[in-house]
Amino acid sequence: MMLSKKLLLSCLFAGALLGQANMAHAQDSTLKIRINADIRSSDPGVNRDANTDMVVMHVVEGLVGYKEDSTIGNMLAESVDISDDGKVYTFKLRDGITFHNGAPLTAEDVLFSWKRYTDPANAWRCLPDVNGQGLAHVVNVAAPDPKTVVFTLEKPAALFLATLARTDCAGTGIYHHESVDASGKWVKPIGTGPFKFENWVSNQYIELARNENYKALSTPRDGMVGDKTPLVDKVRFVIIPDDSATKAALLSGGIDIISDISNTDVAELSANKTVKLDKAQGMGLNVFLFQTRDPLLSDVRIRRALELSLDYPEIATVVTEGQAEAGHSVIPRPSAFFKTAQAEIPSRNIEEAKKLLAEAGYNGQPIEWITSKQYPALFDTAVLAQAMASEAGINLDIKVLDWATLQDHYNNGTYQAMSMTYSARLDPSLSFDMMSGNKDKQPRKVWDNPEALELLAKSKEVSDPAARQEIFDKLETMYRADVPMISLYSGVKTAAVRPAVQGYKGWAVGQPRAWGVSVEAD
Amino acid sequence: MTGHATYIGKRLLWTLPTLFLVALIVFFIVRLIPGDPVQVILGDQATEQEIAVLRAQYGLDKPIPMQFALWMGQVLQGDLGNSITNNQPVMSLLLSRFQVSATIVLIAVTLATLIAVPAGLLAAWKQNTTLDVAIVAGATLLMSVPSFWLGLILLLIFGLKLAWLPVYGYVPFSENPVEALRYMILPAATLILIEVGVLTRMARASAMEVLRLEYVTHARAKGLSNRQVLLKHVLPNAFAPTWTMIGLVLGGLLGGIAVLETVFTLPGLGRLLVDAIFARDYPVVQGCLLFTALIYVIVNLIVDLCYPLFDPRVSAS
Repeated sequence: MMLSKKLLLSCLFAGALLGQANMAHAQDSTLKIRINADIRSSDPGVNRDANTDMVVMHVVEGLVGYKEDSTIGNMLAESVDISDDGKVYTFKLRDGITFHNGAPLTAEDVLFSWKRYTDPANAWRCLPDVNGQGLAHVVNVAAPDPKTVVFTLEKPAALFLATLARTDCAGTGIYHHESVDASGKWVKPIGTGPFKFENWVSNQYIELARNENYKALSTPRDGMVGDKTPLVDKVRFVIIPDDSATKAALLSGGIDIISDISNTDVAELSANKTVKLDKAQGMGLNVFLFQTRDPLLSDVRIRRALELSLDYPEIATVVTEGQAEAGHSVIPRPSAFFKTAQAEIPSRNIEEAKKLLAEAGYNGQPIEWITSKQYPALFDTAVLAQAMASEAGINLDIKVLDWATLQDHYNNGTYQAMSMTYSARLDPSLSFDMMSGNKDKQPRKVWDNPEALELLAKSKEVSDPAARQEIFDKLETMYRADVPMISLYSGVKTAAVRPAVQGYKGWAVGQPRAWGVSVEAD
Repeated sequence: MTGHATYIGKRLLWTLPTLFLVALIVFFIVRLIPGDPVQVILGDQATEQEIAVLRAQYGLDKPIPMQFALWMGQVLQGDLGNSITNNQPVMSLLLSRFQVSATIVLIAVTLATLIAVPAGLLAAWKQNTTLDVAIVAGATLLMSVPSFWLGLILLLIFGLKLAWLPVYGYVPFSENPVEALRYMILPAATLILIEVGVLTRMARASAMEVLRLEYVTHARAKGLSNRQVLLKHVLPNAFAPTWTMIGLVLGGLLGGIAVLETVFTLPGLGRLLVDAIFARDYPVVQGCLLFTALIYVIVNLIVDLCYPLFDPRVSAS
């Protein structure tokens, strides 16, 4: 009898526990999005990574932002007027914008944010790009009236607006001065964005709440601009590092969106009726890099032979499970500057490769190829390259390293050849910039052709799209002749979304956007 | 009592050179690994200037012996520095993460012991019977199963198929005890199943040793019941080696259950260490390993101090 009572109590307790699981399903309209690691801070563009940028850019907005075709659109700015000499940018602010604390947006807030961004003590990610060391040199910022901000540059810089809009600069988001305490220490972002920063539980989740007073633009959602109306009460970015656990969380309803599933999961999840897939062409690049100062690989004929020994459509198809198309340019496919010159893919030609190797006196010396399993594609592409190149008699010796060690070799240029992945660059000048430069000063750069560097510098000053296209076409031809790097493909970002989620759409940058997205009860 | 206190004092004093040695080795080994934390943080778009500024900010531009001296100076004042990744104090990170790992480990090891010791005793008592074979086979099977696999299987069945339990996350007891328990069931169950195997084998082996001794035969000859023989004569003597094993298991697990923490998305000490290694977050790696060493030393000290409870000869010697 006693035993039965204990058993009954145990069953009731277990029932109460398990019952909570079902109740959890019928909760509020919180949208739960998985991120694979915790954010580094909530300070825009400071101590950041891609997850940090993404979360923070739901809270703060800049004067301008990127559109989906990688052009620039207005966000907090009503209009942007550029002087004839290209040195003065006059921003008129939109009316009726308020911060999350209710304070109206004024030109003084822009000045406050800019002053904090450009204080070297705060180590803003994009400071070198606006203080004369990089793309632009802002010599003065003024607020002639509460709705006008004037930026004056030392000389014309075609990429000034693009720099302000960059996601790794947190879109140069404008925040209220109450975001910092009396001693100047960062507290949390008080921005004008569609969501308010509410709660950050370290290594578990970050929760944002709907900005009830958000004043949306009337144009459709487009990249980081357009209509950004929040449609859910809360957004919770849930930190789940493990892919299997993430998939289980999605299928059990624990999360609503995985913004970037692995290619190997696409077939399985597309067959699952409890999940919808959304695909978007990304702008990151998967590449092979060569150390052109290596005694062996300094010979362009060997690099060219390697290029000819590979089957690019095959590599892209195999590694991405048919998701991505091969791309042989530094400029990624979704870019408005990806034209005929960029679209050409070299055909595999083993005989020509062997001929070039013979001319170069190559006798099967091993070429050490470093890669990592941090991103499976890096390892997979290296293995495919090894097999394909061996048919031409090229001996690639693969060495697998952890990500930090691989980066160390990349940054110091201490390798012969390596697999690498570049994050999205939304302007072709930045795409070429990521791999071109003086190797003595920046050993990580792979292409140091002086003529190309001159052309690249010019591309950063010219604003006319046709003139820029001409420059990029020339650079493309030179790049293909020098073969300092082989571009393979730009990945496709496939998101897995529960059916209850409406309005979710990925885009080239690959970061999930929670505005314009609603979630209904399952 | 005074002797006991002196013994504890001596043991604690001995931990100091051990911890110093751990600190020394960890500090230099971490820096021997290729990879720069600043480059990991800044990513592929970092400029030379940004790298230099951040390196100076974290003191990574100073000579390594000077970095060690500065760090040791901080450690002696109870400050383990700040994380390079997120700038949080290492000590508070360690304490908050240890709380998560420790809760699960203590629950799991206690329950595993409560299951394993009787099972081991029973198997030894019924040696070479079907029951013994079944217990030994079960224990061996559990020992052989990788924890991540078992965790994923439990997650698949109880989280996904039956949807009874949450598949990820953690709620502290202080916040909501019922929810906390729900979130803890799957990771704790996984750990219990894994550790039950090891402890059952150990308990069985120890009990078999004791059962062969003459005093057990004597106890049986006196006409004591099986229950009395087992509980009064076999268990106290057979438990001592199992207790040592529990200490080792506990010490190892309290240092972090990284694999399970990853599978169940628990913000524990193991995941903190693994993430810190990948990010080359030197202060956190150093802090974690120093803390783990300290835990190991303390747990083993407690185990040693408890030994006389099971074997009075230890106290006498």
